[in-house]
Amino acid sequence: MSDGVFAVVGLFDSAEELLQAIPPVRARKLGRVEAYTPYPVHGIDAALGLRRSPLAGMVLAAGMLGAVTALFFQWWMTAVDYPIVVGGKALFSWQAFVPIMFEVTVLFATFTAGLGMLFLMNRLPFFGHPLLTSKAIAAVTRDKFGLAIEAEGEALDVEAAKTALATAGATALEVLPFQRELAPLQFMTRTAMGIFASCVVAGYAMYWVIKLFPVLPPMVHMEDQPKLNPQKASAFFKDGHGMQLPVDGTVVRGHLPYLIATQEEAAGLANPLPRTQPVLQEGRTVYNQHCAVCHGLLGTGTPTLTSAYGAKPANLQAQTIRDYPDGKIYHVIMKGKNAMPSYAADLTEEERWAVVHYVRVLQRAQNARDEDFQ
Amino acid sequence: MQSEAVLLPEALQPPTLFEGPVTLGSLDDQVLQYPARKPPAAWYLAFAFTSMLMTLGFSLIGYTFYMGIGVWGNTSPVFWAFDIINFVFWVGIGHAGTLISAILLLFRSRWRNAIARYAEAMTIFAVMCAAIFPLIHVGRPWVAFWLLPYPNQRGIWTNFRSPLMWDVFAVSTYFSVSLMFWYLGLVPDLASLRDRTQSGIRRFFYTVFSLSWRGAASHWQQYEKAYLLLAGLATGLVLSVHSVVSFDFAVSLVPGWHMTIFPPYFVTGAIFAGFAMVVMVLVVVRETMDLKNLITAYHLDVMNKIILAMSCLMGYAYLMEGFTAWYSMDQYLHHIFLQYISGTYGWAGWLTISCNVLIPQLLWSRRVRRSYIGMLFVSLGVTVGMWLERFVIIVVSLHQDYLPSSWHIYKPTLVDFGILFGTFGLFFTLVLLFARVLPVIATSEMKVILPGAQPAHGRGRHE
Repeated sequence: MSDGVFAVVGLFDSAEELLQAIPPVRARKLGRVEAYTPYPVHGIDAALGLRRSPLAGMVLAAGMLGAVTALFFQWWMTAVDYPIVVGGKALFSWQAFVPIMFEVTVLFATFTAGLGMLFLMNRLPFFGHPLLTSKAIAAVTRDKFGLAIEAEGEALDVEAAKTALATAGATALEVLPFQRELAPLQFMTRTAMGIFASCVVAGYAMYWVIKLFPVLPPMVHMEDQPKLNPQKASAFFKDGHGMQLPVDGTVVRGHLPYLIATQEEAAGLANPLPRTQPVLQEGRTVYNQHCAVCHGLLGTGTPTLTSAYGAKPANLQAQTIRDYPDGKIYHVIMKGKNAMPSYAADLTEEERWAVVHYVRVLQRAQNARDEDFQ
Repeated sequence: MQSEAVLLPEALQPPTLFEGPVTLGSLDDQVLQYPARKPPAAWYLAFAFTSMLMTLGFSLIGYTFYMGIGVWGNTSPVFWAFDIINFVFWVGIGHAGTLISAILLLFRSRWRNAIARYAEAMTIFAVMCAAIFPLIHVGRPWVAFWLLPYPNQRGIWTNFRSPLMWDVFAVSTYFSVSLMFWYLGLVPDLASLRDRTQSGIRRFFYTVFSLSWRGAASHWQQYEKAYLLLAGLATGLVLSVHSVVSFDFAVSLVPGWHMTIFPPYFVTGAIFAGFAMVVMVLVVVRETMDLKNLITAYHLDVMNKIILAMSCLMGYAYLMEGFTAWYSMDQYLHHIFLQYISGTYGWAGWLTISCNVLIPQLLWSRRVRRSYIGMLFVSLGVTVGMWLERFVIIVVSLHQDYLPSSWHIYKPTLVDFGILFGTFGLFFTLVLLFARVLPVIATSEMKVILPGAQPAHGRGRHE
């Protein structure tokens, strides 16, 4: 096949002459008859016996596929995968999806029409086509009308084809061999190499973009505005510190000043909370969160952290502590004692007194009197 | 054809689409010579000017990215201003191209063949200009891809009930389809250019992009079918794109936006503005590229008639807007409508009406329709008027919202103007480049309608 003849092509001066020449040439049945024209010529489809284009059906199918795809995805995204009510409408209200369905329909249909025509129907690009390197090509894309008899299956009878075309009035007859030393092949190689090189460059650039993009700070000037940052210097104050001590005499909201200095002074403080179920419940919650980790769930001073903990936490069941008035226990929570830090900042006043109540409950539970069992 | 023509009165005679003798070969020589030629000094001058404007625009966009959109005039309650005005304006400009390439093809208006290529190119360039604005007005353009429904770690999807989402789909589809349409039309011309060019980088590109087109009759058959289908699809698109853009406004509850007239009103305005732009560019192209025998006075005349018709429709739309405001008995709508024609921005409303409705009435005169000065004056007026119309619709409707304490007089900044002029720079830079490297007239389409190009009737199947 490769060293045979692809076609014999001749030229005509007008569409009229071309159209008249087609029937007699076709009648000889020498091979496939194809015309090459600078523009679409009316009536040539019938003369060449071309079948109706299936494109319209393909486009219809693609358009319907587009509509269904758009509807399906919008339904799935808004009603199934991420159901969210917008404007009080039902999750699947198809009316709102119509604009996008229309656009996707047009998109699918258009690309099927355009790309289907070029790539599927016309099998373009075909850079190795013998006509492209012929003398005739410049004429047929300009102002001449080419008629070709092309080999179909078996080898073409070149002389008979020439005669047929000449008889029909064609001039500038040309025999088109199959491409062997393909200039277009080099061209294709170069194109492929070009594409490969571009891909390498683009891929390398993309690698760095993806690598760097997420760590580059966006240009958000909201972050640059003058403001106080924790643990940072600030030009707002003369001493240059961002964090400042409160002004003398400042009372923290919700924290009354505690002016008692010693445990003895605190002995006189009375527990302001009633001994009720909710208060005891609160005391239990707070105790278990903050105190039990050292003093133990029962207040026995055997904590969960004993092994890792150097100091020995106080045993709240000891007689000394059982004898403490409420105020002394409260004072220890406020100020801390020995290794125990102050819990003034962690607990509100109410929580502290509730804990005191709960400690009493624990002590009573571990040292029950006879009447408790009756 | 000949015998019919003789019987017709002069006014109904088929128009002259060519002046002087034009043959298949001379057409190619005339149109396809430009890509191979060194452009004149004036081209370089124009290119330097437009690319300077473009650079200015992009620099200011960069400045906006760096500083944030606080450098624009937009402030509460006018959150949409130049960004959206320019977007609507540029998308509208594009519509003329699609109308010419699609609707007029279906109507078999033979005069469209001469101007279709340029108008389609302008569509693509205009949509490129338009697409800039939604991207930059989001404030954080580096996450603009959130507009697309793609599977993400956040596990959420876009809101498909939002007209802004419809807009994303409409504009991107519009751009893709226009590009497809334009490229398919270019393929046969690129093949002609390929065969005229002997060697070099030009030939390489023409070869690649003409996809080895060789004008086979079997290919032409599929090609014409595809082209017809594309025209049918794009026709729906012309009507839909600006309708969807108008939904951005009409679906909201802002007085002055919430009107059913908006979709046809916007589509009309788009075609109107687009034709004005096409006329302005074509006049220059026709003169400088010496195409007077192909783009005849008749072509300009017909386009000016379309501008006139659209202008009358715009006048009707403005009247209907006023009627709707009055008939609604809604005090907010009354108030906003009065702001269109009186108040701080009253001048903009009156200028809009003058430019879009009054000045184009000059086109009733045949002399104006065929004089460069006349049509350039009208087209320039329409371009300014249509831009101002969007200003009135967007800014004036927003600047006095339901809460009088937040009323605000909007003032654009220099950055706003710079970016607007920058997009004009981008548009005309692309137009100039197009004239330099690609055929400005679709030669294969022109060859179809050349006198004597088609075999006489009665032979073969006529489609």
